[in-house]
Amino acid sequence: MAKLRWREWATDPEQLRRLQLLEKVPLFAGLSRRHLGKILVKLFEKEYDPGQTIFLEGEPGKALFIVLEGKVSISRADNSGDQPLATLTPGAYFGELALIDDLPRFATARADEHSALLILYKSHFDELIEGHSAIAIRVMGNLLKALTGYVRSAHFRMTSHIVTPAASATAPEPSERPA
Amino acid sequence: MVGKRIAQTPQGIGPLGKRRFAPPPSSIIWAVAIALAALIIYVSGELVLLMILSGMVAYLVNPLVRRAESVAIRRGVAVTAIFLGLATVLLAAAYLLVPRLRAEVNALSSSFPSITQRLDEAIDAVQQEITSEYPAAHRLFPAREARYDRLNAFIEEQTANLPNLVSYLATIVLAGVLIPFFSYFLLRDSRKMIQSLMDRLPPAHIETSVAVWCEIERIIGRYLRGLAMDGMVIGTAAALGLWILGVNYPLLLGGFSGLANVVPYLGPVLGGGVAMLTALIQFKSLAPLAKVLMLYLSIKLLDDVVIQPTTIGHSVHLHPMLLIASVIVGGHAFGLIGMIVAVPAVTVLQEVTKLLLERRRYRTGTLVAHPKRGIPIQPFVC
Repeated sequence: MAKLRWREWATDPEQLRRLQLLEKVPLFAGLSRRHLGKILVKLFEKEYDPGQTIFLEGEPGKALFIVLEGKVSISRADNSGDQPLATLTPGAYFGELALIDDLPRFATARADEHSALLILYKSHFDELIEGHSAIAIRVMGNLLKALTGYVRSAHFRMTSHIVTPAASATAPEPSERPA
Repeated sequence: MVGKRIAQTPQGIGPLGKRRFAPPPSSIIWAVAIALAALIIYVSGELVLLMILSGMVAYLVNPLVRRAESVAIRRGVAVTAIFLGLATVLLAAAYLLVPRLRAEVNALSSSFPSITQRLDEAIDAVQQEITSEYPAAHRLFPAREARYDRLNAFIEEQTANLPNLVSYLATIVLAGVLIPFFSYFLLRDSRKMIQSLMDRLPPAHIETSVAVWCEIERIIGRYLRGLAMDGMVIGTAAALGLWILGVNYPLLLGGFSGLANVVPYLGPVLGGGVAMLTALIQFKSLAPLAKVLMLYLSIKLLDDVVIQPTTIGHSVHLHPMLLIASVIVGGHAFGLIGMIVAVPAVTVLQEVTKLLLERRRYRTGTLVAHPKRGIPIQPFVC
């Protein structure tokens, strides 16, 4: 009993909440708590007001974002204006392409409501991947799954658009979208 | 309606005619902050030095705190527990090492007054050893009287500042108390400080700021931790080697070699030089001198090939000329601390400038990102 009380007193509720959220992030699925803890200490937190831009399409990207609280919308500009790609809620992540290549951001991210985001800088991510093969294998596997999802959904949308234009309306909205 | 009225009032005038507070432009705030920082550095250089040293200690201990944080332990609890643990380890080490170190210091101080004479005798013995083997070498050595005078003048000059060191004893004791105190609070509250800074940063600059902060933390943290680890390994290896060779004061000389090692290039030369001088005075012969030289060369080789790549790694990407120049400039400006801090400071400056320039070029469109060259791109997806 005393041990339990001591543990409770020594535990940081804020860090514990973040740790529990990381367990639900698809990118980190399958990682042990010990490994999640290594990611946890590398994260920065930033709050955004409704309507504030997190990053703009075409800007250089150097970090991954995880939604801790609130709602974030991802959109991409085309000839007809801003096209919404997805709306993200706590546990979702975006900006993951910045972890893979040095190309500019593919889409724009904005806070729909008051949101808190966790930020993982690319160099920290690279350090984690280089130093821990278990993290590298899991995270890279999850990242690959996400990327194959983008490719399949993009391919599906393209082909359904060519065969029956009406079918594109019923095609699954890209819940997995590169940002 | 009220909103409209406010909008129509001249800038800085409230709805009731009262002058509203208009914040000064950010350039003025920055200028005032920089001027204040410069004033603090100028007025209380010692305090700044203490803060730098405290920051260095905090960086060294930070990985342990992060390990505790990774299992969601409160930062304050973790920092307190780590400091108590470190204090216990240091006290145990002091209990074991201090009697031996004291004996070495006493022996050294008792032999200090006659050091010129003993050194002169040692040089004379070595000269005789060389000239007995190679008589022609006799012409290369100066006359004994001239050498003795020069040696005496040199040692007097070098030891002239020693009484001043005693007067610094109070400052050293104060630093011994204040550095752990400052570093404790720096470690405990650093997350809060960073968070409050993050809260104040405009969203447009958040990625750049995080990138800059992470680069600084990565370079300084890895450099300082690597340096400390490197110094400890070098010091231990030197002490062990000197003890095996039977050289006097192995603990003092090992400790000095480890400490001197933090200064790039010059440190190992200084550490090895002092050990060779001690061996020269003690043995008055060339063979042990060569053994000590071989010991220090082996340690340097081991350091360059094995220890440094695993401790400091590739955290410093400075051109050797720039590295030496930064050490000299740092030494001139801030003494020993300047020599230690110069390398990571210049590396940080170099990396941050690169990062900011890259982002600027992205924004202005002069840098067009291409996929990494040399990597074949799959022309199809299946």
